[in-house]
Amino acid sequence: MQNSFYKWIPDWRGWVLPILVILAWDAMSRLDANHAYAFASLGQIWAGVVELSRSGELLVNVQASVQRALTGLLLGASAGFLVGSLVAVSRTANILITPIYHAIRQVPLLGLVPLFALWFGNGDTSKLIVVSLSAFYPVVLSTFEGMLQVDRRFNEVGQVYRLSRWQIYRRITLPAALPQVFTGFSLALAFAWLSTIGSELLFTAGAGLGNLMMNAQEASRMDVLIIVTFVIGVLGYGMSLLIKLASNHLFKWRQVG
Amino acid sequence: MTRDWKQFFPFLISPFLLLVVWWWVAAAGWYSDDVLVSPGAVVATLEELTANGELALHLKASFFRLLTGFGLGALTGVLFGIWMAISPRVEAFALPLFQGLRQVPTIALIPILILLLGVDEIFKVIIVTKAAFLTVALAAYDATKGVSKNYFEVARIYHLPKTTLYRKLIIPAITPPVFTGLRIAFSRSWTILVAAELLAADSGIGQMMQLGREMFRLDVVMVGVVITGLVGFSIDKLFKWAEIRLIPWQAAVKA
Repeated sequence: MQNSFYKWIPDWRGWVLPILVILAWDAMSRLDANHAYAFASLGQIWAGVVELSRSGELLVNVQASVQRALTGLLLGASAGFLVGSLVAVSRTANILITPIYHAIRQVPLLGLVPLFALWFGNGDTSKLIVVSLSAFYPVVLSTFEGMLQVDRRFNEVGQVYRLSRWQIYRRITLPAALPQVFTGFSLALAFAWLSTIGSELLFTAGAGLGNLMMNAQEASRMDVLIIVTFVIGVLGYGMSLLIKLASNHLFKWRQVG
Repeated sequence: MTRDWKQFFPFLISPFLLLVVWWWVAAAGWYSDDVLVSPGAVVATLEELTANGELALHLKASFFRLLTGFGLGALTGVLFGIWMAISPRVEAFALPLFQGLRQVPTIALIPILILLLGVDEIFKVIIVTKAAFLTVALAAYDATKGVSKNYFEVARIYHLPKTTLYRKLIIPAITPPVFTGLRIAFSRSWTILVAAELLAADSGIGQMMQLGREMFRLDVVMVGVVITGLVGFSIDKLFKWAEIRLIPWQAAVKA
């Protein structure tokens, strides 16, 4: 009992470095006018927090980014699940789709940004495509691998019972592969969040945390940049935590130890 | 040999079909040049950029940043990861900060770094270093933590000297997972470099694409896309090839 209680008190040593970094940063900002311009002091950062929350700017952009990430995740992961299943179940689909999938996947996702900019413009469509693609790749792979790893004997039992191909997929392959599909899904979330921020930095039009950062950079507002970067980290961590909790809850039956 | 070929051949059908459709649609002339260019035009632009040395110049700039940044980040990352795993004190002090930093995607640090360092060479090297460092350090940390405690106990009982402990136990045990970490770190470094060059650069393959985008030169952008893909692919294959060469025992396990 006592042990588990003390586990909740973090080791004080873990706080030393972060606090030192913050103090050093603050000290840099007070050195001279030049440094004050590049490093924002703690007071400035706090003033920035107040300003951004009062004007509602932070909330609007958080909403835009989270919505983009989740929409892209949903679109990309669903498509990825369908394609992954198809490739796992049908040999023809495997032969036709796999080479193109691997060829396109070689291009770094953000390297496709100039291409999408020419095709779909600078706005939300292009961003959504980048985010969806980032979620699509890992889910295809995890679905495909998860379904291939299903014990063949299960399928044979299904055949003995004269289940149709659809029934085998629905009742045997899918449930057995689901935990791994979900692993791909949580990877997809991390990629979707990363590419949301990345695409917002690279496509100039529209709202979002990345756009807020680009504007802040042009205006040399280091305080805003620090705040937004922090918010991005916290949101990313929060979303991955949610997925982890959901996975633990959904796959209780799978857990060993 | 012929059997390999027979198994491999069907996988070429769809890329070939795609190429034919692309060529045919482009030849039909339904779309303007800044929406669709023919495969032939892309090859012609590639030849042109190769002949006038522009492509080589951009690739050289990108590779310099990639190798410098990755080299710095990977080396310090391996050392720091092992150190953090072996010394409980370093772990207690550094791990929380390390885990916190890990939550922020590298790309989100680009604006801050630009404001601090400007858009010069140093900014691009540092962003690559950061991407490589975190990935490699984490791989080295996890790998070293994963070495069975029993080995360390045996080593202590035998009063094994520190150097022997590293040479005979830790390094062989962590090489395979660290190598995987290096491979992933390299592809992340490449992605982040291309993104950084798209945002702010005067040279490099990303900047070439960015210029193509601004001048509506779809052919230049396509060449850039193909080249970045090829570079990423080759690096990945190189690492896998090196893994088999350098870590034969791991290849044997996999086979």
